[in-house]
Amino acid sequence: MLALPIIACLIGASAGAAFTFIPRVRSIPSHALGWLLAVAPASAFTAIVLHVPQITAGDALTWRIPWLPALGVEFAFYLDGLSALFGLIITGIGALVLIYAGYYFAPKHADKRATGGSHAAALHGKPSLHTTAHQTNAHFFLYVLLFMTSMLGLVLAGDVITLFLFWEGTSITSFLLIAYKTKDEEARSGAFKALFVTGGGGIALLAGLLFAAAISGSTDLMTILSNGDALRSSPWYPVMLGLIAFGAFTKSAQAPFHFWLPKAMAAPTPASAYLHSATMVKAGVYLLARLHPTLGNTPLWFWLLIVTGGTTMLLGAIIGLRQSDLKGMLAYSTVSQLGALTMLIGEEAPTAFKALAIGILAHALYKGALFMVAGIVDHETGTRDLRRLGNLWRVMPWTFLICGIAALSMAGLPPLFGFLAKETLLAAELEEVLPRLTRIVLPAVTVLTGALMLAQAASLALDTFVTRPGVGWPAARHDSEDGRAHYALHAHEPPAGMLLGPAALAALSLIITAFRPEIVVGLLASAATAAYGAPVKVALDLFHGINLPLILSSTAIALGIVLFTLRSPIRSIPNARALNMNLIYDGVLRVLDRAADIATRTQAGRIRIYLAVILTAFFALVIAFGGLWRVFDGAALANLSRRLFDEPFSTQTALRAFGLILAVAASFVSVIIRRDLLAIIALGSSGLAIAVVIALEPSPDVALVQAVVDTLTLVVLVLALSRLPHAQRRRAEELNDSGIQKWNALLAVAGGALVTALCLYAFGSRPRTSLVTPYYEQNAKPLTGAADIVGAIVVDFRGFDTMIEITVFSVAGIGVFSLLRYAMKKRETAGLPAEGEIESNLAASSQRPLPPTISGIDGGRTSPFIRALGYVALLLAFILAVVQMVYGHDQPGDGFTAGVTLSLGIGFWYVVFGYDEAKQRLRFLRPGLLIGAGILTVMAGSTAPTFLGGGFFSPFDFGAALGLPLPEGFYISTSFLFELAICLAVLGAATLIIDTLGHPERDLE
Amino acid sequence: MEVFVALTISVLFAIGVFQLLRRNLIRSAIGMAIVSNAINLFLLAAGAYRGEVAAYANQVGQRSDALPQALILTAIVISMGGFAVVLSMLYVLSVRYKTSDSDEVKGLTH
Repeated sequence: MLALPIIACLIGASAGAAFTFIPRVRSIPSHALGWLLAVAPASAFTAIVLHVPQITAGDALTWRIPWLPALGVEFAFYLDGLSALFGLIITGIGALVLIYAGYYFAPKHADKRATGGSHAAALHGKPSLHTTAHQTNAHFFLYVLLFMTSMLGLVLAGDVITLFLFWEGTSITSFLLIAYKTKDEEARSGAFKALFVTGGGGIALLAGLLFAAAISGSTDLMTILSNGDALRSSPWYPVMLGLIAFGAFTKSAQAPFHFWLPKAMAAPTPASAYLHSATMVKAGVYLLARLHPTLGNTPLWFWLLIVTGGTTMLLGAIIGLRQSDLKGMLAYSTVSQLGALTMLIGEEAPTAFKALAIGILAHALYKGALFMVAGIVDHETGTRDLRRLGNLWRVMPWTFLICGIAALSMAGLPPLFGFLAKETLLAAELEEVLPRLTRIVLPAVTVLTGALMLAQAASLALDTFVTRPGVGWPAARHDSEDGRAHYALHAHEPPAGMLLGPAALAALSLIITAFRPEIVVGLLASAATAAYGAPVKVALDLFHGINLPLILSSTAIALGIVLFTLRSPIRSIPNARALNMNLIYDGVLRVLDRAADIATRTQAGRIRIYLAVILTAFFALVIAFGGLWRVFDGAALANLSRRLFDEPFSTQTALRAFGLILAVAASFVSVIIRRDLLAIIALGSSGLAIAVVIALEPSPDVALVQAVVDTLTLVVLVLALSRLPHAQRRRAEELNDSGIQKWNALLAVAGGALVTALCLYAFGSRPRTSLVTPYYEQNAKPLTGAADIVGAIVVDFRGFDTMIEITVFSVAGIGVFSLLRYAMKKRETAGLPAEGEIESNLAASSQRPLPPTISGIDGGRTSPFIRALGYVALLLAFILAVVQMVYGHDQPGDGFTAGVTLSLGIGFWYVVFGYDEAKQRLRFLRPGLLIGAGILTVMAGSTAPTFLGGGFFSPFDFGAALGLPLPEGFYISTSFLFELAICLAVLGAATLIIDTLGHPERDLE
Repeated sequence: MEVFVALTISVLFAIGVFQLLRRNLIRSAIGMAIVSNAINLFLLAAGAYRGEVAAYANQVGQRSDALPQALILTAIVISMGGFAVVLSMLYVLSVRYKTSDSDEVKGLTH
């Protein structure tokens, strides 16, 4: 089970989440939390270790489940030497970092920190990173464990899509960890910078990986690895390599993209130790090493990696020595080391890959330890400034010892692991297979880098722990003498648990080379083999006799000692501005901001302009791709004119023409008339005229629905209009849009012309026989028992459609309700007198006593005659509704019409009796309940036949099945239940709309 | 007749578009209703048969095409629901921006 390590980390992350979000367990002390959560990576570590014997024997393990089978993408894992080496580093250092972080975040002894810490922080000009006792830092553990899961997934991925997914995961968790101190401006900008650079690289990487997948025919890593020849000979090879290398270089902080890494040091030190030195920044190195067998061994690969890596190596070392911040120096030396690793992958020699495997492990061990020591120093003294630190070995001897061992390894001195790394690096650069030029340049660069690294390592250990405090500290600021004595007095050894992590890593640096090389030799060999693509032998002997690498190494040591003594003058050389990539980055961001400004300016902020643009674009699309020119085709025109003149004149035709003219005229009136209310009435007339046209089709059902819906629309519009303040309405009516009317008219005419062409084309070319309708006509009666074919289609043939339709309608009713409730709350908070919320009104108004004077909708009294009419109208509506539902399958009318008719009767009550009284009299009306009952009925009615031998939505006559004596022409069938359900749902939704829109606006004006 | 119907639909559509683009939001809502009327008419006119009698199984003669009618039925209901939502949004805008002039509805307010 290859997924086991990842699952272990995920479980750890879930536990971290639990400790972050569940209040009850939050109070657990942070060091206990660290130990507890470290179990997850520790068990993952064990799981990988158990596979190591198999791997060193030359096996590669795979495990996969289909993920997107249609795209051929699998969620696959793959474990070979390279993955195992990284996996062990990730989980091993991960466990140590979690334990370390537990102590790092533990609250301090208040007495000690109160003076020294705050004083130090004030001097340092940065907010103190230490937290108060009651703050929980569990989310730090959550982020770290999430990162660990992503990172482990990345190195174990057996599919490039899986790999990319986890790759992005590491970028995002890294962002969260850098910005951990969210109140710190520097942390936020550093986090954004890191995400911007690595995220951009991630996108390039995805593109590159997709190229590789397309050329090799699969996203599976194994397939891609075995298709090296096809990939290298592809014309797309330079593009693909460029994209993948860009992704890897940004992630692994290669020049010129290195600038995000020092800024990422704003993260808490445990995160820096883990992500930004030991693991995440090596993801790019991992990727290049992984793909070397398939993409490598070309001149392009060689020069790209050698030049980039070499430059980065030297640049990082030079800038690193100039740093006076502990973490800054460590960050740049990490950049340098990553450059060396990248360079090694470029070299086509077994020694290079041996050096690569050794370098990865050596660097992870010593740099992890040094970062943790830097955190301890910061934790204990409150500063990381090398110019101010010193003499700490007296109070922190154990920390000094650990730092010393790790620094010796970093300096590349025997008998530490780092020495071996540098020796093999030099040996690799002297390989015969390399071009002559590089065999001279690279060792020279490496010797210089080695000297610089030695100077840095010495500075790290000695300036912190041994030299007199204040070396290089400007005399003018010497008033801090007192303060410095202060730290020296108060600082002491951290808790043993905090020393565990760095101690273990430093000890391994020593043990591996000096005493027990055999524990890692096999693993390193198989890792180097996997990266090289052919067997590589690894031996960890410290002494090979006096040879060229040893001589070069000694030169580097001598030069390094000289550089160390010169460190203060080197640091005081002013920065060269031209070298600063941060300026370019800032420039890029400024350009982006400018572009965004310009883009924003095209947004006019006027709804109607957006609408006009959308309509114009839509019309343009129809013109461009609609094929409307076919209208002017001779055959179509002839066809059209024949149809036009074939039509015999009849009364019906005349009536239809009259209806159409009426509709157009009424619509036109709604444009030119000044008052909104009259325009609404004009719209209503237009709708009724269309109902007439539909009735003449002849199509009584639709005409009926059109008529009732038109009326309901009218009612709702009038209600909505009455809610708008009077003055506001007047203002809107008087709006002078003469400036824009010309353009609107132009657009409207263009739209009209387009629709004319569209209609003529559609009418002229459509078939005169339908494929579908005859089926409905023949089967309506025998299959559904309904003579009304339209009704049969709606409630039976297309029943599912109708079910969704009434659900939509109900949702619209609920939407109106919630929108208006929201608006009313808004009014309350806006300081206007509150009028109470609707839902409380629904209950309250039924208990409220009747107002002394019964009044209609605008406060005026209604005549007794009208009131009587109201009673009669609702009664009639009810009878009408029942008849329509019961006989709707043979006669015009259906459940929808029934529901709207009833709603209209109820709406009439609201108008006649006024809101309060109508509410009082109709207290039995519960819109929500009606909607629920309607939708439930339709579901029950359509599902029931499945239990009675039919299918879902199949017609079934319950009345006949139960043997009920029913009047002739009335069936309790699924269609009847459907009609009933539609009626209930529509009644509910429509009354909800009427009720909320008709809710009185007593406070306005 | 068909040319006439086509012209009617186009004019209705044009009127609807014109209303839709006006500054007064009530008129925009009216425009929406007119456009949906025009589209319903189009669907009706696109039916395959020129009906003499209504689409009932017990009627004799050339029945009108039932399929577009059923489609229109659904369209009418849905546009009614959408229309109600538009109107309540109009009210929300009126509360938020104290206007029913679409040009004054811009920017984010709380």
